[in-house]
Amino acid sequence: MNTNWQLLADNLPIFIPLILLELILMVTALVHVLRHPHYRFGNRILWVLIVVFIQIIGPILYFVFGRGDERRG
Amino acid sequence: MSLGEGMSAVADILTLSHVQKAFGSKHVLQDVDFSIPQGSIFGFVGENGAGKTTTMKLILGLEKADAGVITVGGQPVHFGATKTNRITGYLPDVPAFYGYMTPVEYLDLCARITGISQRQRRIAEMLDLVQLKADKHRIRGFSRGMKQRLGIAQALLNRPQLLICDEPTSALDPAGRNEFLELLASLRGQTTVLFSTHILSDVERISDRVGILHDGRLQACDTLANLHQQFGRPQIKLTLPDAQTAQRCGQVLRPLPAQVQANQVTVPYQEAYETTAQQVLRALVTAGITPIALQQQSATLEQIFLEVIGNGHTTNHA
Amino acid sequence: MATLPTMLKKELLETWRTYRFLILAVVVLIFALMSPLIAKLTPDIMKMSFGKTLQLAIPKPTSIDSWTQFYKNMTQMGIFVVAILFGGTMSQELSRGTLVNLVTKGLPRWVVAVSKYISLVVQWSVALTASFLVTWGYTAYYFPDAKTPYIWQGFVPLLLFGFFFLAVILFGSTLANNSYGGLLFTILVVGGLYLVNLFKAAQNYNPISLIGNNMALVQGHKTLGELGPGIAIAIGAGLVLLAGTVILLNRKKL
Repeated sequence: MNTNWQLLADNLPIFIPLILLELILMVTALVHVLRHPHYRFGNRILWVLIVVFIQIIGPILYFVFGRGDERRG
Repeated sequence: MSLGEGMSAVADILTLSHVQKAFGSKHVLQDVDFSIPQGSIFGFVGENGAGKTTTMKLILGLEKADAGVITVGGQPVHFGATKTNRITGYLPDVPAFYGYMTPVEYLDLCARITGISQRQRRIAEMLDLVQLKADKHRIRGFSRGMKQRLGIAQALLNRPQLLICDEPTSALDPAGRNEFLELLASLRGQTTVLFSTHILSDVERISDRVGILHDGRLQACDTLANLHQQFGRPQIKLTLPDAQTAQRCGQVLRPLPAQVQANQVTVPYQEAYETTAQQVLRALVTAGITPIALQQQSATLEQIFLEVIGNGHTTNHA
Repeated sequence: MATLPTMLKKELLETWRTYRFLILAVVVLIFALMSPLIAKLTPDIMKMSFGKTLQLAIPKPTSIDSWTQFYKNMTQMGIFVVAILFGGTMSQELSRGTLVNLVTKGLPRWVVAVSKYISLVVQWSVALTASFLVTWGYTAYYFPDAKTPYIWQGFVPLLLFGFFFLAVILFGSTLANNSYGGLLFTILVVGGLYLVNLFKAAQNYNPISLIGNNMALVQGHKTLGELGPGIAIAIGAGLVLLAGTVILLNRKKL
């Protein structure tokens, strides 16, 4: 266990921005999922799960394939 | 309609001569030939697939004609990039915008492309005209009607001499349609309008001229008044208590060319009204049928339309 | 010509508001951070998994491992992310009909193609340079050795390959009528180039050489001059594809 903490402490200068970037990606996608209830496929719960739990790839998948078109009305 | 003769003195803003277009082996347009005088409102009528949209795209240089010449404001139209687009405005049947822009941003993009001066003022004017707000709402969230209104704003932005609208009213609700038609009518005199539709009452309401496209040919092209004179046979309309009686009535009236529709029977006639009316009444009395109402009326545009496309041959251009 | 800045502004606004640039930038920055991190952690990870059973002499990581990770990430995942983010740049406009209004207002079609290409090149250059600088900084901090002296020599071919690759994407996107078609075209082209690379005689002329020799360049085993033919072909092919995009677009029905 000791070594793990040591690892983390040694690499903090990388871990902090890395986690920050992943959070930016996740939060941006999450906000978009929640504010735009139209998806090309799938539903809100599915996309929330994908965006939150699949790091990096999840948000990309959402923005490229999941984001709905303009409203038709 | 006081138009008609007077208009021929005004230069034609749009002329099509002997225009042909085929997609593969399907001849969409065959020898289409007409012109629109400046300042008029031209209703372009035809069934779906008759070639209305194709004709408009040819005028805009979005499609290439196989043969024939099109001029806008005296200049020939070229496929691809055509200079004539500078004096033309176009409202597609389903106008597509960038959903991530606000209407002001979109109109600003259009204004920069057309190169108009005093953009801000013109954009404010246009938004005012179509009653859209200049706020931060993106086009993404617009309803169909709002998009249609933004569509007209972008089409009129460069003060076009010729405005082309493809089925502008088909997607609107009755109130929106009414509003839109009034807007088009208000352009009369300053902007020439060419609009296609299959809603004939729209044409009847606002256009001075009508072109009827059928089977790739322009079967008729004239002022409304002239069309009425030429094709619109007067008729007698009988209203009967129910559809069954109407059917029986239709049979009784033979050999008169009576048409039965629900509880109504229409009898077109050519001789004097009295002659036909007496003939109808006599037949009804004999058969013991009592109509609820009997009316003499002139043909509707719908009937003229059917008459024209039924004729099948190319008719004169007045 | 006057409409080019207008359309470029529109493209940049589009990529910003549709989050494409944000995603690209964040993703390549994540790769940039992961490269030195993975290089640094690899020995520890190996130790944790085999260390007790296997007496292995695990070499200490160097700047070479860090840069190797960077170029591996960028030339595989990075390029793929670019392709799926921008594969629909033209096909979406064509399928939605958004160009009709603009072209009927007198917008020349070549401006559409060129402004899209410039916008793509700008985004790629900014994102790649930023991530390159990040990896450089961390690598210099964690692995202060002299084993990778020619850093820029590795970076330039990757940047240029991106320019070529973006021209492929734009052409494919104009050719196809949906974004998947454009993506397929891009995959076919790159797959084809990798096939060509199996022939030794062609390797030197293949644009793929621009993303296959980065580590040799960084360490000084190769020089940029040796990649000259590949670079020339990549730039030439990029220009041809851009011209092809304009020609295609001129013939497209909107």
